[in-house]
Amino acid sequence: MSGLALTLRDPPRQRLDLSPLTPDRLAGLDEAAIAAIELISGNQRLRVGDLFAIAIGDPADLSIRNACDKLDFIGRAMTDGTITVEGDAGAYVGLGLRGGRIHVRGGVGPWAGAEMHRGVIEIDGDAGDFTAGAVPGETKGMRGGLVIVRGNAGHRAGDRMRRGILVIEGSVGSHAGSRMIAGTVAVLGAAVGPYPGFGMKRGSLILSSAPERPSPTFADCGAHDLGFLKLLPQAVGDRSSRLAELWAMPPRVRRFAGDLAAGGMGEILIRRI
Amino acid sequence: MTLVKLAGGRIVDPANGRNGDAADLYLRDGVIVPDPGPGAAIDETVDITGKIVMAGAIDIHSHIGGGKINIARMMMIEDHRKHADAGDGLRRSGGGLYTPTTFVTGYRYAAMGYTAAFEPAMVPANARHAHAELADTPMIDKGCYAMLGSDDFLLRMLANGAEQQAINDYVGWMLQATQSVALKVVNPGGINAFKFNARNLGLDTPSPHYGVTPRRIVAALARAVNELGICHPVHLHCNDLGVPGNWETTVGTIDAAEGLPLHLTHLQFHSYGTEGDRKFSSAAAQLAEVINRTPSVSVDIGQIIFGQTVTASGDTMIQYRNHRHAHPKKWMCMDIECDAGCGVVPFRYRDENFVNALQWAIGLELLLLVEDPWRVFLTTDHPNGAPFTVYPHLIRLLMDRGFRRDMLKTINKHAAAASTLGGIEREYSLYEIAILTRAAPARSLGLLDRGHLGVGAVADITVYTERENREAMFARPDYVFKDGRLIARNGEVTDIVWGATHVVRPEFDQGIEGPLEDYFNRFQTVRLGNFRVTDDEMEDEGRSRLVRHPCRRTTP
Ligand SMILES: [Zn+2]
Repeated sequence: MSGLALTLRDPPRQRLDLSPLTPDRLAGLDEAAIAAIELISGNQRLRVGDLFAIAIGDPADLSIRNACDKLDFIGRAMTDGTITVEGDAGAYVGLGLRGGRIHVRGGVGPWAGAEMHRGVIEIDGDAGDFTAGAVPGETKGMRGGLVIVRGNAGHRAGDRMRRGILVIEGSVGSHAGSRMIAGTVAVLGAAVGPYPGFGMKRGSLILSSAPERPSPTFADCGAHDLGFLKLLPQAVGDRSSRLAELWAMPPRVRRFAGDLAAGGMGEILIRRI
Repeated sequence: MTLVKLAGGRIVDPANGRNGDAADLYLRDGVIVPDPGPGAAIDETVDITGKIVMAGAIDIHSHIGGGKINIARMMMIEDHRKHADAGDGLRRSGGGLYTPTTFVTGYRYAAMGYTAAFEPAMVPANARHAHAELADTPMIDKGCYAMLGSDDFLLRMLANGAEQQAINDYVGWMLQATQSVALKVVNPGGINAFKFNARNLGLDTPSPHYGVTPRRIVAALARAVNELGICHPVHLHCNDLGVPGNWETTVGTIDAAEGLPLHLTHLQFHSYGTEGDRKFSSAAAQLAEVINRTPSVSVDIGQIIFGQTVTASGDTMIQYRNHRHAHPKKWMCMDIECDAGCGVVPFRYRDENFVNALQWAIGLELLLLVEDPWRVFLTTDHPNGAPFTVYPHLIRLLMDRGFRRDMLKTINKHAAAASTLGGIEREYSLYEIAILTRAAPARSLGLLDRGHLGVGAVADITVYTERENREAMFARPDYVFKDGRLIARNGEVTDIVWGATHVVRPEFDQGIEGPLEDYFNRFQTVRLGNFRVTDDEMEDEGRSRLVRHPCRRTTP
């Protein structure tokens, strides 16, 4: 049995909240029941059937086709299954994800993977700000799982991250790993915006290139061969060929401890300096 | 001009001594009118045969507007994400469970039969903001208590030995300038002492900068309120909130008022002893005994109910101390214009926690051991003990001994064993609940035409179907009328109205503006003329019609 496919007919005029459309919530529903689900768009309630063409199939393998950047909350708190997004997605992709896999073939807005606990999010295009971060008011960002951004990511990637792995194959904006509590953020691209690790308490921020402007509150601890870095490509597996390529080289990094303004138990590891 | 007849209800109206007799009520032009006699043209008859009729309920202490509650809303943004209410054409959107938005606050109060709520801690410098928020709070009547007692101007006067008359003038000016209905005092002197690094301030300890004791502040302000003839006594949040052993401070504070009327707010937080292995015990019995023999004192409880909430208080000293208990881990404390302070600390009361469980029991012990229902008011100190939406649950705890004992079995065993609650037989009657939630707060605040169902009273009326499950009964009244208009049906809002704002207008010597103007010019960020909130500002939007309550001066 092939997967369930929802094809967006026209881009919605207002932002559209897709939280109800996850494999676990759609399990066991027939076409009429799916068509009748209400979605909130701006100040209106619209029905799935009016917005999407439905091709019935296994909801554990859900595709959202002809997607656009107005579609928010794709895969919110989903526990199981796969969502494939053909096109771009809006904000909060995989917010609070509990399991399963989301694959966005285009780019995404801010807060992708925010507060996720488990599961995998792959983004083929660029990601917005606060990827794997915490939405305003929350004290913890990503808490587990894996996020891979194949393009570039915006500012504050991994903000307040608590656990898990965020791999950004492209470049990253300012304050990457801000207020990190723990976890790992790896940036493989050439450009790293100013002040990475701002306010980080613990955790590892691994950069391929030196940042545009380093934070003054990090202490240079010299160059090291850190064998444990070989574990990172193992954890990510074949999902990031660039990571595997990079770590085929000896694991030599320059280590900076910080943020000394927030306890200084974290580290920035820079491969080329 | 329409005449509405509420036919056949059972009237529970303690202010007029009526306890469930069946009678008709007639409403015209927003007030209760006499029986027009046979042959009168009745425009509408609502058959409420056998249902319980009470005046609209009044919450005497609920933090629903102003600076700190707005900070709490911003800080607890997850509360709004988790509890979002969509607009529906009638109601506007909003949300938040323990930090409800202004509109939702009004809807929720009205839906459970409340027609008035009073913001009890308005920092004078925030008055304009507080009234603007309350002007966005539909359905209910409102009023604010201006917060003094740690403000530099007053402390300077006391330190310099100012005469009582000058203090009276200052208090009178402030109540008028801030459009208030009563005077609030929070941790007298303590908020100021905190700014000079004190971490506590005993009742008879001179404060570090001004050398003024809390006892002196309480005495001066209780006298000012009394001599200005403000109906509601000083609304006092004592020193040492939450500190084990603070019940003695509370008793001392009653003495400090020197026999003048005094209202002790959220008494539950001020009723702690130091007995037992954990050095934390209930002093509810001792305090209730003192209150029972001191008729000049009234109290509200500040009952806690288990769950997530946020504490918002002017008491920066205590909020700073409690910040390490913040859950989730975020908090703020700040000074506001040398007037007072503001501290917001999120908190989750847990029934398995000894201290929280005992706090829950202490509040109920107080409610059940204070004998005179005219001197105790039902509050959770929203949102500090719990959001106001728990009131129906709290009423059931008071009215239903079996339910109370079942709940007692679910809390921390050691706390349950340390409490006398299980042995208290008292069950509140409907009549007593009507006193606690209507008649007594109206009388205490001087709202002569509210809180009762006599002829001439404003037609704020709630109609319930009597049910054994009191929580279900009080959560969803059949009908709620505000100023004679039907605004809610079966616990759902059906019409939007705007309540009035209650204020007092005490007489005072305008000469106080001389020294005040100088003070404003030297120390404040706004000029005195801009500080004052005018009647026009209040009433311009048409949403905060002023109801001015008379003051009866007791001295020339
Ligand atoms: Zn309060």
